[in-house]
Amino acid sequence: MSAIGELSTMSRRKGPMSAEEKKANGRDNKAAYIFLLPWLLGLAVITIGPMLMSLYLSFTDYNLLQPPEWVGLDNFFRMFGDARLHNSLRVTFTYVLVGVPLQLAVALLIALVLDKGLRGLPFYRSVFYLPSLLGGSVAVAILWKQIFGTTGLVNQLLAMIGIQGPGWISDPSTSLGSIILLHVWTFGSPMIIFLAGLRQIPNMYYEAAEVDGATTLQKFWRITLPMLSPILFFNLVLQIIGSFQSFTQAFIVSGGNGGPSDSTMFFTLYLYQKGFGQFDMGYASAMAWVLLVIIGAFTAINFVASKYWVFYDD
Amino acid sequence: MPLFARAAAAATSGAEAKQARSRRRLRASGVVAAAAAAVLALSACGGGSAPKSSDGKVELRFSWWGGDKRAQLTQAAIAAFEAQNPGIKIKPEYGDWSGYWDKLATQVAANDAPDIIQMDEKYITEYSSRGALLDLSKYQIDTSKLDEAALNAGKGKKGLTGIAAGINAATILANPAVFKAAGVAIPDDKTWTWEDYARISAEVTAKSPKGTYGSAAYGTDEASLGVWLRQNGKSLYTGDGKLGFEPSDIAAWWAFLKDMSQNKAVPSASEVVEAEAAPLDQSGLATGKNGLAFWWSNQLPALEKASGGELQILRFPTKTGKASDTKLWYKASQFWSASSRTKHPEEVAKFINFLTNDVKAGEALLADRGVYPNSQVRDAISSKLTKADTKVVSFIDQIKNELGEAPAPPPKGAGAIQEIIKRYTSEVLFNRLSTEEAGKKAVDEMKSAIS
Repeated sequence: MSAIGELSTMSRRKGPMSAEEKKANGRDNKAAYIFLLPWLLGLAVITIGPMLMSLYLSFTDYNLLQPPEWVGLDNFFRMFGDARLHNSLRVTFTYVLVGVPLQLAVALLIALVLDKGLRGLPFYRSVFYLPSLLGGSVAVAILWKQIFGTTGLVNQLLAMIGIQGPGWISDPSTSLGSIILLHVWTFGSPMIIFLAGLRQIPNMYYEAAEVDGATTLQKFWRITLPMLSPILFFNLVLQIIGSFQSFTQAFIVSGGNGGPSDSTMFFTLYLYQKGFGQFDMGYASAMAWVLLVIIGAFTAINFVASKYWVFYDD
Repeated sequence: MPLFARAAAAATSGAEAKQARSRRRLRASGVVAAAAAAVLALSACGGGSAPKSSDGKVELRFSWWGGDKRAQLTQAAIAAFEAQNPGIKIKPEYGDWSGYWDKLATQVAANDAPDIIQMDEKYITEYSSRGALLDLSKYQIDTSKLDEAALNAGKGKKGLTGIAAGINAATILANPAVFKAAGVAIPDDKTWTWEDYARISAEVTAKSPKGTYGSAAYGTDEASLGVWLRQNGKSLYTGDGKLGFEPSDIAAWWAFLKDMSQNKAVPSASEVVEAEAAPLDQSGLATGKNGLAFWWSNQLPALEKASGGELQILRFPTKTGKASDTKLWYKASQFWSASSRTKHPEEVAKFINFLTNDVKAGEALLADRGVYPNSQVRDAISSKLTKADTKVVSFIDQIKNELGEAPAPPPKGAGAIQEIIKRYTSEVLFNRLSTEEAGKKAVDEMKSAIS
């Protein structure tokens, strides 16, 4: 954020520019664009190109082996009758609506504890951040599978106190919960951002509140939370977008089939199966665009709603 | 994401003076981040095309699925071919079954298909009907020594698009160590019925330590369903590419499994789901957790190697207790196919001809892909086979006179059937659907998959 702050001071300089300054500015811009070129090329070739292609494919019947055939809105109409797609939406929404608030709550809680000024804070910060780096990886998903298996670590511990645990990831009633837990465990990146936000709340507010005899809880509700709301909002937007697109964990933990009984069949996983497993790439492309619209809608709602709860103190 | 790193830096440096403005900036950066992240949702990965001949040689790409043992044997066959044909270089590409088909579909779509493709009966119609496979009958490949049924399995509307790499049969494999530990005799597979199978499995479970079961559950692929249907006068598919059974047929198959599950003859529903994902060498049979399990005959040597002991091949049980009613069939374990877009069809044909007819290829590949369909090669290599291979070959020989008629080839879309069977098997085992409901839903889904 400090860098962003510096950028804004640069661009908001007061007073009209002299001709010389303008010239120098133009040179700077040119240099910037040259430095940006590799990224811009990548964006055009690797992102925008395939996106436009997938938009076109979403209006076609494309089986990967033969050229696509134009079918208009057929793929989108077919979604209304696709029970497995509806199920995948249910699974994904559950994941997002349960997983994101839980994860943010844990992240905020840990950030509050760390903000108290522990000795060796950088160490703890790194330790708590680690799962964020690992959580999306294949290796951790495989580890998760072992830990939550019928004879895995969790059930071995439960057996010690005489409880026979279910097959957490192989039982359809607990499998999604296990994956949500994996998501919550990766609270590190929102935690770091919360921590940064907490550091920026001026101490004078707390001092004033203490003078007035406010309790810890009151200080949290009246000072910390409102002051932190822009950060909370930022985390919320990012996490919702990321969660809608989760794929790796469900893919690895379920062995690629979203099982048992489609209980972990995320929207993205179904999209992948449709496209690559069932040679229905037109439909899969249409699904990708539906996901984009869903994510867009959620983000828009978030921004509109933010007017009512996000507090900017300037 | 660099944004996180910046935030972390801010946390330590405590840039308090800029906080008010940066908070406003945050709002804007949120929008940018949202847009960027959403865009990522749609970006797909592109594929590159492989370079052709680097040193004047013709380079052919050859892809197959299978484990380490198969890779070693196949590499030896490639080396033998390259020694005979110094102008051709074969570049192997291999991996697990599960990722193989996703990769192949992508490669074909990107016009980057391997020249020689190991193909399965479930997918051959899918690929050949869409013109992705080469008609091998137009090239010089000697098919005169091939088993007729095996040869016919690779023929379709688009010509000869696959040549059988081996012959297979659906079997039940028994782990004698498990039976011995339980003090139960291995059943006589010439006389056993499905009731015997269920009873004996339950008995083994009862007399074994916790976590060991008499039998693995069926219901994770279509082979066991195929046998069941054939014994009941039905079939998986009909000759005109339709489904060959009714919801009630598959419901009966599940009802039998559910009974076995309730008697603990097979593992719990959760364990069945976990077993599905396990690779061959960690399967219940190989680790001594199952007394009986459903496998293709050619998988016995690899399973024996993994289990470290001997395994026994059994015929499927029947309704009548007569081996002549088993209704097994010879399956082409895999096919050698070629991409219709290969730039070197002559060389590809030469390689497939080598794999099919050359004794040197047979000596390298042995029985890993099933019993050699070329009778001449089969005889020539018989002395070189391992004990496990010989067991497989003699089983294939023994059932020769008990076979039912050759099943209709799987139609286009058949690749999706196994996944549907698996999914509804777990719905049934977890008591989420009755067997009738599961039968109805599964058949509906299968019909739309192959239509």
